[in-house]
Amino acid sequence: MLLFRSEETVNQWCAAHNIPQRPLVNLEQLWQLAVHWYANRLTVESRRPALDEMVSIFESLGLAGPFWDPKSDQWR
Amino acid sequence: MPELDLDTQVKLAIYEITAETGSVPNSSQISRKISIEEREVLAAFRRLHAKRLLLPEPGDPHRIRMAPPFSGVPTRFPVETNGRRYYANCVWDVYGIAAALHCNAISRASDGQTGEPLTLEVKNGEPILKPYVAHFAVPAAHWWDDLIFT
Repeated sequence: MLLFRSEETVNQWCAAHNIPQRPLVNLEQLWQLAVHWYANRLTVESRRPALDEMVSIFESLGLAGPFWDPKSDQWR
Repeated sequence: MPELDLDTQVKLAIYEITAETGSVPNSSQISRKISIEEREVLAAFRRLHAKRLLLPEPGDPHRIRMAPPFSGVPTRFPVETNGRRYYANCVWDVYGIAAALHCNAISRASDGQTGEPLTLEVKNGEPILKPYVAHFAVPAAHWWDDLIFT
Protein backbone atom coordinates (compact mmCIF):
# COMPACT_ATOMS: atom_id res chain seq x y z
CA MET A 1 0.00 0.00 0.00
CA LEU A 2 1.69 3.12 -1.27
CA LEU A 3 1.22 6.82 -0.65
CA PHE A 4 0.55 9.27 -3.46
CA ARG A 5 0.15 13.02 -3.68
CA SER A 6 -2.94 12.67 -5.85
CA GLU A 7 -5.00 10.37 -8.03
CA GLU A 8 -2.93 11.62 -10.97
CA THR A 9 0.27 10.04 -9.66
CA VAL A 10 -1.67 6.88 -8.73
CA ASN A 11 -2.74 6.59 -12.37
CA GLN A 12 0.85 7.07 -13.53
CA TRP A 13 2.05 4.35 -11.14
CA CYS A 14 -0.66 1.92 -12.24
CA ALA A 15 0.17 2.51 -15.91
CA ALA A 16 3.89 2.07 -15.27
CA HIS A 17 3.34 -1.23 -13.46
CA ASN A 18 0.44 -2.50 -15.58
CA ILE A 19 -1.75 -2.76 -12.50
CA PRO A 20 -5.41 -1.73 -12.58
CA GLN A 21 -6.35 1.21 -10.40
CA ARG A 22 -7.98 -0.04 -7.26
CA PRO A 23 -9.67 1.85 -4.42
CA LEU A 24 -8.13 5.02 -3.05
CA VAL A 25 -8.25 5.71 0.65
CA ASN A 26 -7.93 9.19 2.13
CA LEU A 27 -5.83 9.95 5.19
CA GLU A 28 -8.75 10.13 7.60
CA GLN A 29 -9.93 6.67 6.51
CA LEU A 30 -6.37 5.38 6.71
CA TRP A 31 -5.95 6.68 10.26
CA GLN A 32 -9.18 5.01 11.35
CA LEU A 33 -8.04 1.73 9.81
CA ALA A 34 -4.76 2.01 11.71
CA VAL A 35 -6.53 2.66 15.01
CA HIS A 36 -8.86 -0.31 14.53
CA TRP A 37 -5.99 -2.63 13.60
CA TYR A 38 -3.21 -1.51 15.88
CA ALA A 39 -4.31 0.58 18.87
CA ASN A 40 -4.02 -2.41 21.22
CA ARG A 41 -1.27 -4.26 19.35
CA LEU A 42 1.23 -3.99 22.22
CA THR A 43 -1.18 -5.42 24.79
CA VAL A 44 -1.87 -8.94 26.03
CA GLU A 45 -5.25 -9.15 24.36
CA SER A 46 -4.19 -7.88 20.95
CA ARG A 47 -5.20 -9.85 17.87
CA ARG A 48 -5.91 -9.29 14.24
CA PRO A 49 -9.59 -8.46 13.60
CA ALA A 50 -11.67 -11.48 12.62
CA LEU A 51 -12.97 -11.56 9.04
CA ASP A 52 -16.48 -10.40 9.94
CA GLU A 53 -15.02 -7.63 12.11
CA MET A 54 -12.94 -6.49 9.15
CA VAL A 55 -16.05 -6.17 7.01
CA SER A 56 -17.74 -4.08 9.70
CA ILE A 57 -14.70 -1.84 10.07
CA PHE A 58 -14.43 -1.29 6.32
CA GLU A 59 -18.14 -0.59 5.95
CA SER A 60 -18.05 1.92 8.82
CA LEU A 61 -15.46 3.85 6.82
CA GLY A 62 -17.37 3.68 3.55
CA LEU A 63 -15.17 0.93 2.15
CA ALA A 64 -17.66 -1.59 0.82
CA GLY A 65 -17.89 -4.16 -1.94
CA PRO A 66 -16.02 -7.30 -2.93
CA PHE A 67 -12.63 -5.59 -2.94
CA TRP A 68 -12.91 -5.06 0.80
CA ASP A 69 -14.43 -8.46 1.58
CA PRO A 70 -11.71 -10.71 3.04
CA LYS A 71 -13.83 -13.75 2.16
CA SER A 72 -14.51 -12.77 -1.44
CA ASP A 73 -13.51 -15.24 -4.14
CA GLN A 74 -14.12 -12.74 -6.95
CA TRP A 75 -10.40 -12.09 -7.41
CA ARG A 76 -9.14 -15.66 -7.77
CA MET B 1 -2.86 -12.35 36.64
CA PRO B 2 -2.83 -15.91 35.23
CA GLU B 3 0.39 -17.00 33.55
CA LEU B 4 0.47 -16.05 29.90
CA ASP B 5 0.68 -18.73 27.24
CA LEU B 6 3.92 -19.02 25.33
CA ASP B 7 2.68 -17.38 22.13
CA THR B 8 1.46 -14.35 24.06
CA GLN B 9 4.78 -14.10 25.90
CA VAL B 10 6.65 -14.19 22.61
CA LYS B 11 4.32 -11.68 20.98
CA LEU B 12 4.67 -9.24 23.87
CA ALA B 13 8.45 -9.65 23.90
CA ILE B 14 8.62 -8.89 20.18
CA TYR B 15 6.67 -5.68 20.58
CA GLU B 16 8.40 -4.62 23.81
CA ILE B 17 11.86 -4.91 22.27
CA THR B 18 10.71 -3.23 19.08
CA ALA B 19 9.12 -0.32 20.92
CA GLU B 20 12.17 0.12 23.16
CA THR B 21 14.84 -0.13 20.49
CA GLY B 22 13.26 0.65 17.13
CA SER B 23 14.45 -2.73 15.82
CA VAL B 24 12.39 -5.88 15.43
CA PRO B 25 14.17 -8.65 17.40
CA ASN B 26 15.27 -12.07 16.17
CA SER B 27 14.55 -15.42 17.81
CA SER B 28 17.78 -15.34 19.83
CA GLN B 29 16.90 -12.00 21.40
CA ILE B 30 13.43 -13.24 22.30
CA SER B 31 14.91 -16.41 23.77
CA ARG B 32 17.14 -14.39 26.09
CA LYS B 33 14.44 -11.91 27.05
CA ILE B 34 11.90 -14.46 28.26
CA SER B 35 14.31 -17.28 29.12
CA ILE B 36 13.01 -20.03 26.87
CA GLU B 37 14.74 -22.24 24.34
CA GLU B 38 15.19 -20.70 20.89
CA ARG B 39 13.45 -23.69 19.30
CA GLU B 40 10.38 -22.82 21.34
CA VAL B 41 10.57 -19.25 20.06
CA LEU B 42 10.76 -20.50 16.48
CA ALA B 43 7.70 -22.69 17.03
CA ALA B 44 5.86 -19.66 18.44
CA PHE B 45 6.92 -17.63 15.39
CA ARG B 46 5.27 -20.27 13.17
CA ARG B 47 2.05 -20.19 15.17
CA LEU B 48 1.96 -16.39 15.23
CA HIS B 49 2.50 -16.43 11.48
CA ALA B 50 -0.47 -18.78 11.12
CA LYS B 51 -2.52 -16.28 13.13
CA ARG B 52 -1.29 -13.54 10.79
CA LEU B 53 0.43 -11.64 13.58
CA LEU B 54 3.94 -11.77 12.11
CA LEU B 55 5.78 -12.67 8.93
CA PRO B 56 9.13 -14.49 9.24
CA GLU B 57 11.90 -13.38 6.94
CA PRO B 58 11.68 -15.51 3.77
CA GLY B 59 14.46 -18.11 3.95
CA ASP B 60 15.43 -17.27 7.53
CA PRO B 61 12.91 -18.31 10.20
CA HIS B 62 15.10 -16.82 12.95
CA ARG B 63 14.33 -13.31 11.77
CA ILE B 64 11.06 -11.41 11.55
CA ARG B 65 10.32 -9.49 8.37
CA MET B 66 7.09 -7.95 9.65
CA ALA B 67 5.57 -7.63 13.08
CA PRO B 68 2.79 -5.38 11.84
CA PRO B 69 2.86 -2.44 11.86
CA PHE B 70 6.65 -2.64 12.31
CA SER B 71 9.07 -3.73 9.61
CA GLY B 72 12.17 -5.76 10.37
CA VAL B 73 14.02 -4.11 7.50
CA PRO B 74 14.33 -0.47 6.38
CA THR B 75 11.53 0.67 4.10
CA ARG B 76 10.45 3.82 2.32
CA PHE B 77 8.21 4.53 5.32
CA PRO B 78 10.39 5.66 8.26
CA VAL B 79 8.49 6.80 11.33
CA GLU B 80 10.06 9.02 13.97
CA THR B 81 8.55 9.11 17.44
CA ASN B 82 9.78 9.03 21.04
CA GLY B 83 13.25 9.98 19.81
CA ARG B 84 13.52 6.75 17.82
CA ARG B 85 13.17 5.73 14.23
CA TYR B 86 10.97 2.81 13.28
CA TYR B 87 10.12 1.46 9.85
CA ALA B 88 6.56 0.77 8.73
CA ASN B 89 5.65 -1.90 6.19
CA CYS B 90 3.38 0.37 4.18
CA VAL B 91 1.55 3.67 4.40
CA TRP B 92 -1.23 2.09 6.50
CA ASP B 93 1.41 0.94 8.98
CA VAL B 94 2.89 4.45 9.23
CA TYR B 95 -0.28 5.44 11.03
CA GLY B 96 -0.31 2.01 12.64
CA ILE B 97 2.94 2.72 14.49
CA ALA B 98 1.57 6.00 15.83
CA ALA B 99 -1.64 4.20 16.87
CA ALA B 100 0.21 1.27 18.49
CA LEU B 101 2.62 3.49 20.44
CA HIS B 102 -0.04 6.12 21.23
CA CYS B 103 2.46 8.86 20.41
CA ASN B 104 2.91 11.85 18.21
CA ALA B 105 4.79 10.71 15.11
CA ILE B 106 6.16 12.02 11.85
CA SER B 107 6.98 10.09 8.71
CA ARG B 108 9.01 11.57 5.89
CA ALA B 109 7.61 9.30 3.23
CA SER B 110 7.39 9.83 -0.51
CA ASP B 111 5.05 9.61 -3.47
CA GLY B 112 5.01 6.04 -4.76
CA GLN B 113 5.39 7.18 -8.37
CA THR B 114 7.41 10.40 -8.39
CA GLY B 115 9.42 10.03 -5.20
CA GLU B 116 8.37 13.50 -4.13
CA PRO B 117 8.75 13.86 -0.36
CA LEU B 118 5.37 13.65 1.40
CA THR B 119 5.19 14.05 5.15
CA LEU B 120 2.61 12.32 7.33
CA GLU B 121 2.15 13.48 10.89
CA VAL B 122 0.08 12.48 13.91
CA LYS B 123 -0.38 14.93 16.79
CA ASN B 124 -2.40 14.42 19.95
CA GLY B 125 -4.06 11.30 18.63
CA GLU B 126 -5.13 12.77 15.30
CA PRO B 127 -3.58 12.80 11.84
CA ILE B 128 -2.65 16.10 10.23
CA LEU B 129 -4.90 15.73 7.20
CA LYS B 130 -3.64 16.41 3.69
CA PRO B 131 -5.15 15.60 0.30
CA TYR B 132 -2.86 12.62 -0.21
CA VAL B 133 -4.25 9.17 -0.98
CA ALA B 134 -3.27 5.58 -0.31
CA HIS B 135 -3.70 3.07 -3.11
CA PHE B 136 -4.63 -0.48 -2.19
CA ALA B 137 -3.45 -2.57 -5.13
CA VAL B 138 -4.44 -5.94 -3.65
CA PRO B 139 -7.98 -7.03 -2.62
CA ALA B 140 -8.48 -7.74 1.09
CA ALA B 141 -8.96 -11.47 0.47
CA HIS B 142 -5.39 -11.68 -0.84
CA TRP B 143 -3.38 -9.38 1.41
CA TRP B 144 -1.52 -12.29 3.00
CA ASP B 145 -0.88 -14.16 -0.27
CA ASP B 146 2.25 -12.03 -0.75
CA LEU B 147 2.35 -9.66 2.17
CA ILE B 148 5.64 -8.06 1.15
CA PHE B 149 4.09 -6.96 -2.16
CA THR B 150 0.80 -5.98 -0.52
